[in-house]
Parts: sequence; C-alpha cells; structure tokens
Amino acid sequence: MVADTFGVDLQRCLRGLGGLLVFLLVWWLGAMATQPSYLVPGPLDSGRAFVDLFATSTAIIVPVLGNRLVLPTGFAHLVQTLFHYVPGLLLGASCGIGLGIAMGWNGALDDWLRPIVRMLRPIPPLAWVVFALVWFGIHHTGAAFIVFVGAFWINFYGAYSGVEGVSSKLTDAASTLGVERELSMLKLVALPNAAPQLLTGFRTSMGRCWMIVVGAELFGAPGVGYEIINASNNLAMATSVAYMFLISLAFVCMDVGFRFVERRVLAWR
Amino acid sequence: MALNSNSPTSWECNEKICVRNISRSYGSTRALADVSFSVADGEFFCVVGPSGCGKTTLLRAIAGLEDVDSGSVVVDGVSVTNPDLNRGMVFQEYALFPWRTVRGNIRFGLDRPSCECPDCETRVQELVDLVGLDGSEDAYPKELSGGMKQRVGIARALAVDPEILLMDEPFASVDARTRDRLHAELLNIWNQTEQTIVFVTHDINEAVTLADRVLIMDANPGTVQSMVTVGIDRPRQRTAQEFTEYVIQIRDEFGTSHGVTEESLMKDF
Repeated sequence: MVADTFGVDLQRCLRGLGGLLVFLLVWWLGAMATQPSYLVPGPLDSGRAFVDLFATSTAIIVPVLGNRLVLPTGFAHLVQTLFHYVPGLLLGASCGIGLGIAMGWNGALDDWLRPIVRMLRPIPPLAWVVFALVWFGIHHTGAAFIVFVGAFWINFYGAYSGVEGVSSKLTDAASTLGVERELSMLKLVALPNAAPQLLTGFRTSMGRCWMIVVGAELFGAPGVGYEIINASNNLAMATSVAYMFLISLAFVCMDVGFRFVERRVLAWR
Repeated sequence: MALNSNSPTSWECNEKICVRNISRSYGSTRALADVSFSVADGEFFCVVGPSGCGKTTLLRAIAGLEDVDSGSVVVDGVSVTNPDLNRGMVFQEYALFPWRTVRGNIRFGLDRPSCECPDCETRVQELVDLVGLDGSEDAYPKELSGGMKQRVGIARALAVDPEILLMDEPFASVDARTRDRLHAELLNIWNQTEQTIVFVTHDINEAVTLADRVLIMDANPGTVQSMVTVGIDRPRQRTAQEFTEYVIQIRDEFGTSHGVTEESLMKDF
C-alpha cells in the first residue's frame, strides 16, 4: 500500500516535471524565434535577470517609522509591496469578516444593508484607484486602500455565508444544552461552524490581493508591480519576467503556509 | 424560563410532564390538533405514529424549541417557554458539533455557566464509559459510525444530568444489530439515572421493547389515537408470545382508525 502510494506520487512528480520541461522548451524556442529579442525574453535571460535582482542592493523607506532599510533589490521591492499588501489585507479581512458575521447573524441588519452591499460589491477594487489617488495619493496608503477594498468583499462573503448557513439542528442542540444568549450561540456554534468558509475566504483574498496590489502599483505605488512596468519602460523585459516570477514565488509560499495552518485548524473536517 | 407564579395553569398537573390541548399548524398543514397526555416521573414513554403525525413537533414543543398555537406544555408544574438544561434532547441526525471531539461534544453542556459542575473532566470520563466510547474520546464525529455518533449524542444530553430525556427517533439511521445493543444500553442507563424518557419512533417493535406506555398517534392532523400500557417484565424478548401480542395490538389500533390491511401497515412502519 505504501509502495503503491509512493509509486503514484513518483509518477505524478515525473509527469509534472515533464510538463515543466516541455513548457520551458516551448518558451525557449518561442523566444529564439521572435525578433526583436526583447519582445519575448527567453528562460535563460529571465533566470539571469532573476539572479541579478539579488546581486544589487536598494534602499527603501519604511512607512510610518521613516527609517531606511537596505536590502537586496528583489527583496527590497517585495517588502515595499508587502508594506501596503499586508495592512490592506489584514484590515480589509478584519472589517469584511466583522461585517459578514454581523449581517449573517442579524436578520434586521441584513435587511438594512443588503441593498447597499448589492450595489457596492460588484465594483472592481481597482475602480477605487481614483479615490485612492485623490484621498491618499498613490503611495503606500493609497495602494493599501485598494487592497483593503479587494480583501473586504471576499472575506465579507465568506463570513456572511458561513454564519448564515449554520444549521438549525446545531443551534437547537446548543439551546437544549444551555446556550441562551445570542452572543454565546454565535461564539460557540455559528463561528466554529463557519470556520471553513472564513478560512477559504481569507485564502482566496490572499491570492486576489496579489492581483490587485500589482494593479495598484502599475499606477505608481512602489513595489514589485511598479518594477514590472518600470523595467518594461526600459525594454528590460527579462527583468519584468523576473519580478513576475518573484510575485508568483511569494504567493506560493503564502498559500502553502496558509494551507498548512488551515489543515491544522480544520482537522475535524 | 417562566416562573410558576407568572404562568398559572388553570388545571392541575401532578405528573412530570403534562401536555394539554396543544395545536400547531404550518400554513394549512395541521401538525398537531388538540393533543393531550401526561407522562409520569421516571416513566419510559414512547410516542409512535406514521410520518407526518407531528411526533417530532410534539417532542420539540416539550423541549421548548417549538412554539405552539394553543394549549400548553407543563413540566414540574411550570409552563414550558424555552429550552432548559433540565430537558435534554437526542436528535435523529445526531446534531453533533463536527468541530468538537467526542470529549468536546460531551463537555459542551458542562461548560455553560448555568451548569454546576465541580469536576467536569471526571464527569466526561464517566459518560464516555457509560456509553462505551472509551478509546474514541479524541475522535471527531466524522470518524465515527452512526451508532457511535448517537452514543455521543446520548452522552452529551446526559452530561448535564437532565431529569427528562427527549429522544427523537434516535436509532432510525442505525443498523438493526447496533440498534438492539443501543436499546439494551439505553434501558440500562435509564435504570441507573431514573430519568423520565420521552422516546419518539415509527417502529412499533422498538416502542414495545422500550416503553412503559406507548402513545399512538394518527396523522393529518396529528392527534392522539390511543394509549397502550406495556405490561411485560424487562428484558423483553421479541420472540415471546406476549411481545408479539402487544405489537399486534398497537398495529390494530392503527387498523381501526384507517381500516387498512396489516400488509400496508407493515409497509408503513
């Protein structure tokens, strides 16, 4: 049985590796065949550009604290992105989850706010870039605001559907076991029951916010997104690809880490 | 919980549970129409009837989970308006909290501030032993079979030591052999705890196996058809002549109200 699983795993790994090699080959051939060469930077050029990101150092300013931080260039820009990505994500997720729980649990509040939610939710977060510009200026705060909007709705929806969907069987069982107050019911039944949706909402928002943050930086906020467009302005497309790869790497690390936590927390599923 | 003085009853109730003229409709469907009976202290009381005779509604009304349109349920001389720790409930589909382990589920009611429990750990272990779940204390509900889940359901309801145990077709989704064993265990527990049990089932054999008295209900609308006192010493043998006679007697009660053949009753039950 163990050997069997191992065999299947090995087979899947080999297939994955095969797919990757074919992809690199097609990329390489495509890059060779395209003229002028900057239009499609090849895998080797891109790899070299990626290594170069860490060969030089760049100084960045830590927002709020105002002190200088010198880091390898690639890290420096990633950290700049995180300076608005992390606060935007955490704040947006907290507010979204808070409102989602409140509306999912309280029917009257749901009735009051539902039309507003219906109206605001479909607006793509990047559309708020205009307000980010006039309210905060397109720097860390402005970019964080756009990330906030993106994180807000995804987490709102996860929390809302999770809390609203608690089965009456469970709340009935809890009330026969002495849960009387609404708040206790929320804490002891509705929230643990909603945990899977809450966590899925948060994980989805982590990914979505990477898209949003790069979009926000294309408008001028400092970070990897800005570096992508900056490099392409200099026709250094290989560097753009290197930064794209850096984003993907950062996202994969976060996603793997979060899935690990999720598996622990949701062992009961 | 309404106090005795606040909700005076216009009639005497000297029994543990008195149900007086309760009616309940859902839209145009009359689930219960003018149902009255009483249950003695320490009695094992079964309610049998076809699907849709309102037996679950009846049990939920006694639990305080369901409002009635008219009439009242009185327990220990006090009108029932809300669920109470004194009336434990075991649900047909178990209604276990999936995010809690066996131990966590059993402990749920003990963690309420209204519950006095000086040594909860010991109490939980006692119950684990009582329902025969030792070794599975740390398992999550998803890892348990139907029979084991219902053992947890019973232990969870027993944990707070209620005087009344309300059971809603608790063994309906359990295989026949496990059901037989659970019957024996339940009678054993009942002997030890001297609780009053109201047990809803659609299985006449189950009712005759367990009950002191059997209330037979009729459907559309749900009404009391008749009451049978089962005068057989426990443990009861299903193959005994006496046992079969009671089963036939109860079946005949349905027969007189519907004018149906025994075959169609066999199909219904």
